[in-house]
Amino acid sequence: MTKEILSVQNVKASYGAIEALHGIDLVVNEGEIVVVLGANGAGKTTTLRAICNMLSTSGTVMLDGEDISKTDTASIVAKGVAHVPQGRGTFAALTVRENMEVGAYTRNDDEVEADIDMWFEKYPVLGERQKQAAGSLSGGEQQMLAVARAAMSRPRLMLLDEPSLGLAPLIIEDLFRTFAQINKEQGTSMLVVEQNANLALEIADRGYLIETGLITGSGTADELRNDPAVQAAYLGA
Amino acid sequence: MTLLLQRILDGLFNGSIYAALAVALAISHRATGRINLAQGEIGLVGAFVALALASPVGAFVAGSTLFAHLPGHPFSLRLATVVAVAVAAVFGAGLQAFVMRDFADLNPQRALNRSIALLICVSALSSGWWGGRARQFGELFPSSSRDYIGIFGARLRYTTIGAWVIVLLVCGIVHLFLTSTRTGLAFRALTAHRESAELSGIQPRRLMALGWAISGALAATAAALAASMSLIDTSLMFRTLIYGLAAVTLGGFDSLKGAVFGGIIVAQAQTLLPGYAGLPSEMSIVGALIVLILVLITRPWGLFGHRPVERV
Repeated sequence: MTKEILSVQNVKASYGAIEALHGIDLVVNEGEIVVVLGANGAGKTTTLRAICNMLSTSGTVMLDGEDISKTDTASIVAKGVAHVPQGRGTFAALTVRENMEVGAYTRNDDEVEADIDMWFEKYPVLGERQKQAAGSLSGGEQQMLAVARAAMSRPRLMLLDEPSLGLAPLIIEDLFRTFAQINKEQGTSMLVVEQNANLALEIADRGYLIETGLITGSGTADELRNDPAVQAAYLGA
Repeated sequence: MTLLLQRILDGLFNGSIYAALAVALAISHRATGRINLAQGEIGLVGAFVALALASPVGAFVAGSTLFAHLPGHPFSLRLATVVAVAVAAVFGAGLQAFVMRDFADLNPQRALNRSIALLICVSALSSGWWGGRARQFGELFPSSSRDYIGIFGARLRYTTIGAWVIVLLVCGIVHLFLTSTRTGLAFRALTAHRESAELSGIQPRRLMALGWAISGALAATAAALAASMSLIDTSLMFRTLIYGLAAVTLGGFDSLKGAVFGGIIVAQAQTLLPGYAGLPSEMSIVGALIVLILVLITRPWGLFGHRPVERV
């Protein structure tokens, strides 16, 4: 019996007078990687922001059976959701290590240092620059830092907003391997929003298609990969 | 030569006041990302509370009857000042949490309007209670004509030393708090990137109130020092605010060290330029503003601030 960790029900969101989401439904089961595919402006980022209550919404967002649609962003994070926003959102003025420490802000255990060292081993370039300001890192390094920082909170659910945006292909592959690894080793569920459908479907269990603020299709990763419409729109076949 | 040294040493006292107010402005700006023009007035309320705590009931200082029931009233001025600094901290936090709750969310124009409105309101509040004639505040440090250290014939007064000890001590505590505590790290994260801070589980509202509490305490320290040097009246901190703003702009809003040095530089410009550039002393503010304009033209992010860099 699969258990839903995240359930989004009829969520609508608007920027001022313009409604960007017209009633989104989606589900992430425990331990799953779910991908949301869509073009620019389809509402992918808005969906993730709506889950974290970063803009005004209507509808219901359930985390582990608990309604979080009226909970403030910081408290949602404290409940085990980590959100890596588009544009990475690293603390440029803080050092790399401080960024990692902020990532563990919601934790109270004594394994924070060990976790930081573990990440610095995985990404040695971050370890070498741990005393440097995060703003001095390259784009790819900042994305690594953003992912590592989010993982520092030991989340149960990670929301990843176009992690591949603006990165070199080799770095993207490395990044997606890391996602698969976090998912496997720590059982972290993931909701990944992407335009890079190829790689996203490779690590994903299931996926949704989003167009102009509506979910227009869904299926397992295999089903989506073999869907002619998906191939034409996202896989360049 | 001795005269020059004497002017520099005299300027150091004002420098301590401007430094404290500049750091207060920098901290509240870090907390909410907007300039709090009422910062000086918040400090002034603190200084008046100190006066009320230290005045006997018959002295006609608003609040002294209110505080008369406290054990030990009237307090010594030093104890009263310490208590008043704490009161100003609570006052600042309260203003942020209730009156200025949405300050950080306003666009810059509206935030400026709101900041001016708060300045006028707090100023009206203290004018209503403590307006009228200027009053004697009292001495915080020994300040008779013999209380000085001679340096090459010039006099470094104990009041100047005392003021700097206090200001550096308070700034040191704030610096330690920011750099070596968990809450301080969260505060710096909030300053660096509010959205990412919230996405790390940091509650911004509490930290904003905390930032305003710290700057309220610093501003009250500045106000008490300014009042101890001359008289206390309701326009005391409005004058000081001009210099404080010059100092923090000079040093850079994101650097405490910069704000302190900004305070020193502005005070020196204020004392030295009238003497050596032939400006009449009523024009001493011009000296500070000339320095400010020069910095804004050449290094708009301040002498110690970080040049904003955005990687794309």
